[in-house]
Order: sequence, then structure tokens, then C-alpha cells
Amino acid sequence: MDKIIKFFMDIGKLKRMPRRGWVIREIKNPESIADHTFRATLMAWVLAGKKDKKINMEKLLKMALIHDVCEIYAGDTTPYDSILPKDPKKRRELLKTWPRFTEKQKKRLADRKYKKEKAGLEKLTKNLPTALKNEMMSLWLDYEKGDSPEGKFFKHADRMEGFLQAAEYWKDDKKVSQKPYWVQAEEMHDDPVLLKFMEQISKEFLKGK
Amino acid sequence: MDTKTYYITREKLRELKKEYEELLGFEHNKSLIQDMPKVFESEDLNPEFVSFQEDIGFLRSRIDELKNIIDNHKLITAPAKNAQNIVGLGSKVKIDVDGQKDEFVIVGTLEANPALGKISNESPVGKALLGHKVGDEVVVSSHMNTTYKIRNIKYEVN
Repeated sequence: MDKIIKFFMDIGKLKRMPRRGWVIREIKNPESIADHTFRATLMAWVLAGKKDKKINMEKLLKMALIHDVCEIYAGDTTPYDSILPKDPKKRRELLKTWPRFTEKQKKRLADRKYKKEKAGLEKLTKNLPTALKNEMMSLWLDYEKGDSPEGKFFKHADRMEGFLQAAEYWKDDKKVSQKPYWVQAEEMHDDPVLLKFMEQISKEFLKGK
Repeated sequence: MDTKTYYITREKLRELKKEYEELLGFEHNKSLIQDMPKVFESEDLNPEFVSFQEDIGFLRSRIDELKNIIDNHKLITAPAKNAQNIVGLGSKVKIDVDGQKDEFVIVGTLEANPALGKISNESPVGKALLGHKVGDEVVVSSHMNTTYKIRNIKYEVN
């Protein structure tokens, strides 16, 4: 099979891969990884336009498109995975909180996720032309590290998409706890554009609550 | 270019200076005539030339940004002994968050990585913790009202 066709067929699998964060929350017909990528890319584009600083839009949007493709082979992970109880009641309780770990555990979890996802991306892109393969890896590493303005902004915009999705699921079903998303967001976000957007989301969804 | 102050550790400053030097060298090489696309006739019309100019433009923009950070940085250092009981930049803070134990290092935006416990001083939680002492209960006032109780403060910066 043509290598490019094989690559696109692999990418197509993301349309049928539900995001694990919603699966463990028992959301019916949860969004797929491709669904998330689509809106996160649009959010990055639109919200980056509100920033004062110059952003390389081509780099940002390519990064957005590539950021989760490694999950085709690495699978989707959540911060809860290593501590998720089998008992549904205990699991629902745990999912009302943001998980806490020691410094050592944080490093170990981050390292394990990084290695697994990097290997997933290498497997996915191994038969692509070298320049394309290198570009994808370089964009993914930039996103992971969050070091360049594009990498840092998209890392945060990516989480903001999840924040909005959580609010939408909560609107339909109040059992989907908002608390962990708020806690994570308030410890993570420091970009003025995204903080303002977060405030707008909260006004939209929590008004009159 | 803005004149914001960037709070960074010595290690991060070293890393940024290295990137700056490398990009300057790269820009110099890229601007040499042999790297320039040879096929263009008109600078206004040829897409290859336009793309080349854009590459140079974005490289320059990163170089300018790094220079701005280097020129406007402030090193994160430990405060005087008598102020080390207060949460500040560079402090490692042990906390109880709504009854759960955790620990954060308060860093500048460029070094923030919440997955590793490095919280930006410009995030709502980072901002709220700054200036507090052991025993203080800090409520981050949002729609969820999360309480952060400070258990211990330590400075490990050089």
C-alpha cells in the first residue's frame, strides 16, 4: 500500500477513538480525538489572533493538527489512569477531584507518557518522507516542551478546548463535575487571552447557577 | 516589543542564551546567497522567494523575542533568610488543596509546567499564593472556590 495512503488511513482511526477522559466519566457517545483536534485547531487560530505578540500561524496550526496523532498507537491517557478504582462509585468520587501526586510520581508519569507518545509518533510516521517526518516530530516536541510561543500557546489552548467540552457536557448532565477542570485551569493558565476566554466560558455556562 | 519583566532561573537563562546564539548563527548562514532560492525573477511574484523571506522573518521574530527576554529578565533568587517564610518566586510550597496534599514550585511563565508541579506566578493560583505564610488558607476565588492551605515553604534556588 502507498505509504501516504497508509498514513491517512491511520489518521482516520482518530475519528473513531473516543477521548478517554469522557469514557471514564461515562459520557454517552463521547467526542473522538479527531473531534477534539478539529475544535482545538480552530480555537488556536481564532484566539491566537487576539494576542499582542506575533505568532507563526502556520506553525501553530500544524502543531494543533499533529498534537494527538501519536495516540493512534500510544492510546489516550488521563492523569487518573494510575489511580482509577474499579468500583464505579469510588471512581465517580475520585473524578470529582483533580488528582494529586508527589514530585517523584509527577516526573515518572510525565516521563512514561512522553516516551510512549514519542514512540507512537515514530511508529506512525516512520514511512513518511524524511522532511515531513522530521517536521511532524519537531512540531510535536515543541508542543510537548511548550517552549516556543506557539508551543506554549497551543499547550494551553488544547486544555482550554477540554475545559469548554467539560462545560458543555456539564450543561447536559450535572453529574459531570466541573471542579477538576477549574482546578487544573487555575493552576495552569497564565495567558491573558486564554484567562479572559475562560472567564467568558464560565459566565456563559454558570450564569444563574 | 513589550517591556515585560521575565522572571527566570539561572539555568533557564543559560538555555535561552544558547538558543539565541545558535539562531543568530543559523540566520547568518541562511541569509548567505547560496541559501537563497535561485529561480526567482521578481521578488513580488515568486512564491519560493516569499516563503524564504517568511522563514527568515519568523526566525528573526524568535531572535528578537529571545533578545527581549534576555534584556528584560530578572533572575529568580532566594530572598533573605527572614523572608523565606513567605511564598515568592522560586519557593517550593507544600499545600493541602481541599484536603489533598500537593506541592508546587512557583516559577515565571517561561518555566511553568503544571504537570511537573511548576506553577506560573501569573496563573490565578500562583498569583493568589504569593506573599502568604505557612498556615495561611488561600481561597482562589472563582466559581469553584478552591482552598489552598500552606503547610511548608522552602527555597531551593541558587
